[in-house]
Amino acid sequence: MAALLLRHIGRHCLRAHLSSQLCIRNAAPLGTTAKEEMARFWNKNTSSNRPVSPHLTIYRWSLPMAMSVCHRGSGIAMSGGVSLFGLSALLLPGNFESYLMLVKSLCLGPALIHAAKFVLVFPLMYHSLNGVRHLMWDLGKGLSISQVQLSGVTVLVLAVLSSAGLAAI
Amino acid sequence: MAVLLKLGVLCSGQGARALSLRSRAVRPAFVSAFLQDQPTPGWRGTQHIHLSPSHQSGSKAASLHWTSERVVSVLLLGLIPAGYLNPCSVVDYSLAAALTLHSHWGIGQVVTDYVHGDALQKATKAGLLAVSALTFAGLCYFNYHDVGICRAVAMLWKL
Repeated sequence: MAALLLRHIGRHCLRAHLSSQLCIRNAAPLGTTAKEEMARFWNKNTSSNRPVSPHLTIYRWSLPMAMSVCHRGSGIAMSGGVSLFGLSALLLPGNFESYLMLVKSLCLGPALIHAAKFVLVFPLMYHSLNGVRHLMWDLGKGLSISQVQLSGVTVLVLAVLSSAGLAAI
Repeated sequence: MAVLLKLGVLCSGQGARALSLRSRAVRPAFVSAFLQDQPTPGWRGTQHIHLSPSHQSGSKAASLHWTSERVVSVLLLGLIPAGYLNPCSVVDYSLAAALTLHSHWGIGQVVTDYVHGDALQKATKAGLLAVSALTFAGLCYFNYHDVGICRAVAMLWKL
């Protein structure tokens, strides 16, 4: 009985000893800052030449992932559009009305004009609605996988419907 | 994240709590603010795990930036219907500012994610700042010398 007790205590002490050693071995040296940790992490990552995150080629595609990529894509495209508009306002000689007249003189069919309006307004509606979805996530709402899936489909349907409506005006 | 993982290795109880917090809360800045330099109960002595620099100016600035991005997004969401309902120069200039700022910050995030290397990233951000400034100037010029953003969209939609 005494031997059993002794063995139990001995084992307990040994385990405590080992685990504390394990802790020390894995612990960051005292006095490192998060910045140094990050620098070490990045140095290791760059030297190992792994694909950089966020990388799009190694995962199976899912709807939320595709929508997230499209959110960025539509944002970049619209930023480019706004910048192009601003720069051409500075650089091009004519005023806005003269360019509108130019487009009018081309006598494009109504189908083409509605299609062009849809192409213009769809990224805006998609980005706005999906942006609301992102803001909801930022509030900590709707983060479960099923909710993410459902809100994604909702955003897609609403974006197509509202864009079609606005393009038809 | 690497630091959080390390924390998980160090003391699984504390680490598991940290990770569950990480997955529940969505604001990394908030999490880092929440977890900074907690003395870990399982540890002897006064050792701390440094999750953030001891002076918290960087984390605070990041958190403020995060909040500002959301505020501008919400403003922009409001400005678009405002431009339809009440097209005036106040909305025009607000749109010019909010659109430029939102794109500038958005593209800045993309640059942070995809452009690696210190010098290259700095150069790209400088270029981005130049383009954003020119865009803002162009939109203001358009608002002042031409019909303005709201009326321009209305005229385009009448085609």
